[in-house]
Amino acid sequence: MNFITLAVKNLMRRKGRTGLTILGVAIAISVLFSLIALNTGYEIELNREMDSFGAHILAVPKGCPYEAASLMIHGGVIPKYLNISDLEAVRSIDGVEVASPLLMYQFYKRDEATGQNNPHIVYGIKIDDMREIKPWWKVEGRFFEDDEKKVKVVGRELAEKENLTVGQVMPFGPHREEFTVVGILERTGDQDDLLHFLPLEEAQRLSNKEGKITTISVKVGDLGRVGAVAVEMEKIPDIQAVTMTQIMGTITNLTGSARSLLMTVISIAMVISAFGILNTLLMSVNERTREFGMLKAIGASGLDIGKMIMAETLIITALGGLLGTVMAVAGSTIIEGFVKGMLPYAPLGSFIHITPELVAFSLVFSVGLGIVCGIYPAFKSSQLTPMEAIRGGLE
Amino acid sequence: MTAILEASGLTKIYRRGREEIRALKEVDFRVDEGEFVSIIGPSGSGKTALLNVIGCLDTPSKGRVILDGTETTKMKERGLVRLRREKIGFVFQQFYLIPTLTARENIELPLLFSRKGERGRIEEILDMVGLSDRGDHLPGQLSGGEMQRVAIGRALINDPKIILADEPTGNLDSATSRMIFELFRDLNRSGLTLVIVTHNLDLANQADKMYTLRDGQMVGCEMLAVPGNGADGSG
Ligand SMILES: Nc1ncnc2c1ncn2[C@@H]1O[C@H](COP(=O)(O)OP(=O)(O)OP(=O)(O)O)[C@@H](O)[C@H]1O
Ligand SMILES: [Mg+2]
Repeated sequence: MNFITLAVKNLMRRKGRTGLTILGVAIAISVLFSLIALNTGYEIELNREMDSFGAHILAVPKGCPYEAASLMIHGGVIPKYLNISDLEAVRSIDGVEVASPLLMYQFYKRDEATGQNNPHIVYGIKIDDMREIKPWWKVEGRFFEDDEKKVKVVGRELAEKENLTVGQVMPFGPHREEFTVVGILERTGDQDDLLHFLPLEEAQRLSNKEGKITTISVKVGDLGRVGAVAVEMEKIPDIQAVTMTQIMGTITNLTGSARSLLMTVISIAMVISAFGILNTLLMSVNERTREFGMLKAIGASGLDIGKMIMAETLIITALGGLLGTVMAVAGSTIIEGFVKGMLPYAPLGSFIHITPELVAFSLVFSVGLGIVCGIYPAFKSSQLTPMEAIRGGLE
Repeated sequence: MTAILEASGLTKIYRRGREEIRALKEVDFRVDEGEFVSIIGPSGSGKTALLNVIGCLDTPSKGRVILDGTETTKMKERGLVRLRREKIGFVFQQFYLIPTLTARENIELPLLFSRKGERGRIEEILDMVGLSDRGDHLPGQLSGGEMQRVAIGRALINDPKIILADEPTGNLDSATSRMIFELFRDLNRSGLTLVIVTHNLDLANQADKMYTLRDGQMVGCEMLAVPGNGADGSG
């Protein structure tokens, strides 16, 4: 027999209480684990999403708030438009390398399987400009030409959902015209996977927005000149220029309060769980005072008793930590869905990043929690004189 | 006869607020090696107080205790821990077994604290207390008498010089109590020194010597048998 087996046997005397305490620790640790995983993953995913947008500056209609511009990055639709003439004005600004026009609109389509009306987003684009913004685009089949009619390219995920194949002809638009799917984009891992891409003019025709565009994505040659180019762009009457840095800032602000709320939740969960453990330990120490007297009588020192209590605590928190980590890893998608619902701007990709370091951290943390919670009960019971203990006098 | 335990002028005062309770008043007490001593006395007379002081669980307010040649009243807690481990075996009225440990594991428990590895003695001790076939039972599966046997086994495992038992039969019926006393007698025959506190006069009379405490004072000492002669008593 050693202290560990003795501690385990002691914990087994109150299986229900031990189990519930372990579960309490597990829940606290899994919340901690998930939120840290989310928080780190969020930054990484946000940066990746910004990169995948490809542009440095976004020209949006004046009066469009930053928030809307930010949401637009993954397909929010704003009800204001620029004129195609603004595109030429932007192109003529010194330092602009690529200016890619975009008309976005949204329509709803009944999903055959679920019967729900799902939103679909259409991007009308100039193909060459767009491919310069997104040089990583690859296509199965081919891209369309800007002057082609009744053709479209779709994102990979959309194609899978709707069972589309290259060359397929399908009714599309308000008048259910026969459109040919000429290409399917290779998976990009971002919002592009879900979109319908049409030649700009076709998109304008279908949405009755001839000569209109929603945004212009601008790439500058010299990154040091992003600010200067944005200032020049703002001189065009219709245009408000938003840089990616500003958008990042806005998103960070938007999510900042939500994320600090989450952090508060973690801290409260930790404190509650710590007090729960402490309470359980003190309870079990108090009801065993006389037994500690017996242990001292048969040769245990104060240190031995303290060690035994500490071992019991550490077993509880270590098991709780282990269980909590497993729970967090197993339930990461559920937790992610929940958190995504809470954040005003959530990247599309999975942003729970589980690393070995994080697993190690949460295990070390739970052991630390055990030490913090165990130290007082262990000290208290080790300080009892055999006499006090035998007479049951902790009070 | 050499004294294994010698207490002289023992006084124990408990303070409860302003009130002073004199649990022991100038008690002299001596136990020789190999002796079987019983202590009787009415409730509150100081029996437990005396046992705790001589067993190094409590310190006297005055007086001194010499246990196996060392004066314990001058020792620090560390030394007392060692004394309790090596020289004293305690048996309590409430058994105090750990319910999730088997009889064998409960008996082994002191070895965890004394860091002694000699597990071989466990079977021998199970046999001594008459539980050879009960080693793997949990306390919940044992009768009261059997539980007390386990507790006695636990007191024996560190090979103590003296066993101190505080009303070991207080929770047992009279037949079982007699059997426990027979066990004590057997242990005594094999050379163990025993001090047993009890309310039961019949049982107390089976010892070699019977002390009587009243109001914290030692008021009587009766010689019942010549020490070590118990074995040939009725031959
Ligand atoms: N920790 C304490 N604080 C105050 N008074 C105490 C304490 N321990 C014992 N006493 C008092 O000392 C006296 C002797 O107590 P003790 O427990 O030794 O009696 P006892 O002879 O063992 O009685 P019983 O047969 O009921 O066990 C009692 O009056 C008791 O109330
Ligand atoms: Mg008593």
